[in-house]
Amino acid sequence: MTKNAFRESIRNSIADEALQAALDGNAERRCQGRVTAFASLPDHSLRRQRAHAIRSEVITHLEDYLARFIEQVKSNGIQVHRAADGEEAVRIFLEIANSHNAKLVAKSKSMVSEEINLNHALEKAGLRAVETDLGEYIVQLRGERPSHIITPAVHLRRHEVGALFHEKLGVPYTEDIPVLTNTARQVLREIFLKADIGMSGVNFGVVETGTLCIVTNEGNGRMVTSLPRVHIALMGMERLLPNLDDLALLLSLLPRSATAQKLSVYTNLIHSPRRDTDTEGPQERHLILLDNGRSRLHASNLQEVLLCIRCGACLNACPVFREIGGHAYVGLEGSIAPYPGPIGSVISPGLFGAQEFGHLAQASSLCGACREACPVDIDLPGLLLRVRAGQAPSATNEPPREAVGIPTLLKTGLRAFGLAATRPGVFGYFQQAAGLISRLLSPRSKWMHLPASSGWGLSKDLPRPALKPFRSRWASLEHEDPIEFIHTDNKLEITKNALPSISDLAAQFVTELEALGGECVPCTRTQLTDTILSLLKARGIECLMVDDAGYELLLDSGVDLVRTPDASCKAGLTRVAAGLADTGSLLVIAGAGELLSASLLPEIHIAILNLSDVHASLPDVLNTSIVRNAPTAVVISGPSRTADIEMTLTIGVHGPGELIVLLVDDSTSSMIK
Amino acid sequence: MIETVQLMVTCLIDTFFPEVGEAMLKVLERLGVSVEFPSDQTCCGQPAFNAGLRSEALPLARHTIQVFEASSGPIIIPSGSCAVMLRHGYLELFAEDPPWLERAQNLAKRSFEFSEYLVDHLGVTDVGANFPGKLSYHASCHLLRGLGVDRQPRRLLSNVHGAELIELPHADECCGFGGVFSVEHPELSAEMLKRKISNLETTQAATLVVCDTGCLMHIQGGLKRQGKTQQVVHIAEILANREPSQ
Repeated sequence: MTKNAFRESIRNSIADEALQAALDGNAERRCQGRVTAFASLPDHSLRRQRAHAIRSEVITHLEDYLARFIEQVKSNGIQVHRAADGEEAVRIFLEIANSHNAKLVAKSKSMVSEEINLNHALEKAGLRAVETDLGEYIVQLRGERPSHIITPAVHLRRHEVGALFHEKLGVPYTEDIPVLTNTARQVLREIFLKADIGMSGVNFGVVETGTLCIVTNEGNGRMVTSLPRVHIALMGMERLLPNLDDLALLLSLLPRSATAQKLSVYTNLIHSPRRDTDTEGPQERHLILLDNGRSRLHASNLQEVLLCIRCGACLNACPVFREIGGHAYVGLEGSIAPYPGPIGSVISPGLFGAQEFGHLAQASSLCGACREACPVDIDLPGLLLRVRAGQAPSATNEPPREAVGIPTLLKTGLRAFGLAATRPGVFGYFQQAAGLISRLLSPRSKWMHLPASSGWGLSKDLPRPALKPFRSRWASLEHEDPIEFIHTDNKLEITKNALPSISDLAAQFVTELEALGGECVPCTRTQLTDTILSLLKARGIECLMVDDAGYELLLDSGVDLVRTPDASCKAGLTRVAAGLADTGSLLVIAGAGELLSASLLPEIHIAILNLSDVHASLPDVLNTSIVRNAPTAVVISGPSRTADIEMTLTIGVHGPGELIVLLVDDSTSSMIK
Repeated sequence: MIETVQLMVTCLIDTFFPEVGEAMLKVLERLGVSVEFPSDQTCCGQPAFNAGLRSEALPLARHTIQVFEASSGPIIIPSGSCAVMLRHGYLELFAEDPPWLERAQNLAKRSFEFSEYLVDHLGVTDVGANFPGKLSYHASCHLLRGLGVDRQPRRLLSNVHGAELIELPHADECCGFGGVFSVEHPELSAEMLKRKISNLETTQAATLVVCDTGCLMHIQGGLKRQGKTQQVVHIAEILANREPSQ
């Protein structure tokens, strides 16, 4: 029997009360959150169709887009490597690490690195790899795999995290989530500062500009890509978008689907390593593009699954995932599948073969909640059916098998049913026989109590077949006369939501910023310096990281101004390039005269935003020269946050916990036209 | 007569719930529709198709296409999932068989789920039905997400005289049937069923209406096992119910 390990893990998960409570909490909050988040996007179904079309176009012509992407990334100064499989990716990684004599790797969240077991390979080669996403850090300390592609520690409750930190980090036991989060902040801060290599995944690669887009809430994704001297990005080769306008569209869908946010706290747009004129940023950036079975998937009937943008919405919507969690999706011998949930039940057999993971596709009632939740409208039920039909590509040239994961007895039953059902006379005969036999088995009750071993009988009774099926009744049925139509009404109830009118961008910006937990202080240009000084005084800030703009403002103020990355400063002051009204976001850029880390390292980020630089939304600023030409640009949406422990929102993880925007009333000097 | 339709009664109704077929016939004939029953019909092949046993689903699909090609009118199906099989499943099954694909496409165009046919095709939202009591509606997965049919049955039910329609919490969540899934993964199916039943209990409704006899059999089977008294009925049974005076 091939499914024992899987059946066993399903039973164990269902019996685990703490897990059930954690999964119920996840499903309920995430699904409601997603609905609420999309309510702010009236045209979301159109966007979804458009996103599907964009991703389809890229996947259909994947090699063309890849070639152009690689060329552009290289010309931006990033070194590009292609890895055919996990082993090759590890080898490339180690070559880079060895050439820098690296010992410590700070990692941000990357499902691809989980797919190729990168941590294990690095440890074996003598490197220390530390996960810095709070959820990933927790599961790494427990020696586990993530149980969800977005919230890795979704299977755990706060007391388990408290006990873990007490045991592994020697801190006093607590169930206080902000205290636990702060412990991780302090431990990992050391890692960010000491790491030789920062390793990240990539959410999207943008072909036209060679942009690597990485979204993160805690700030660790920014840390690992900006503080260590070498950054290595690991990316599935399918995660491409044609241009920055397409990225703006996908960014309106991804965070809403993943974490019910309009935008993630940090949307990182990386173009190049540090340039000669820059004060910060890694000296080298590498991109490893991983195949690892994706080409085989591309050539198969499961190609559509490559559209996936790894938002995890299908996991949250899936009633089966809700019952068992990510760790229950196991292979033949009980090893945890690299990708769980509905999408994982296609990807795991798709990348690693139906022999090992094909049975996962049977763990679905085909209810379609996954497809409904998918922001790029992947026909997941259709793909699950194809996996079941034996259409997953084979890694070992084993011949395709139909009905993967279905027990022989059930197959035989379906075959026998098929034989009868293609012969109506025989079919009718069996129906009548079933009606008679069922009355012998259950003479009194219309509903039969079958044994649990029948499967059906575990939780429900089975109706007795009718003594006289419909086909035998038809000839003698009484017919009815037509009566008058009572009421006809064929109006379709289509309600159209009008686009919200944006009458006052600044007011909207302030509302959204405050909703994210940020603070807005309006002032005029002449009041600016005094406003900053009183802010600093009120918070007892004596040391301030500043960019050139901040430096000029406070040159004679007596404040200790630091113009390079310095983790000991309590606050950072930066001018920002733009504000986004519909998400309350700020656009900051790296480059000459800028200090991006001033918006990341300190506990408090004070941003200077000119009123004339407030734009309606992300598409207005993303595809502009200021973004294209920046070595790195970041869209900041509120203070750093996490919900990795019990979905409880905690502000201030690796990035600032306080964000103050000085909204300067000006009438000139807009940076983006 | 408005038009002549063919009844695809489905193997579940044929075998287990013939009274649902009879109720459908009543509703359709009262609306002036002439109903035929091609007696060679058996099963659309969905169980084998969903299990991944496409070689077994193919002969059943061909058989079904041949049976219903005998005439050209609408095919009325009292089950969302069987309708999805005809509308979508067959197109997938015959994707690389152009002659059969064409026949499947013609069949798909003629296929209607029962409530969809009444509301979208006939334009009827009140069939003059009467049902005293509280009703709740479970939105079957394939009907809702496979066909996009939801407004139609809700509209029909809201016009049932005497009935009080109570919204079922999480009405669109799967009941855990899923065909072979319910036998193959009984533990998962049981948990999903438990949640559906506890949601039903919060409504205080004595009757749960569905448009798919797979869900009917599953939820009713669970209620019976738990010793509960709620009844699960097919929408045709509610719509066929008329006031004694009429």
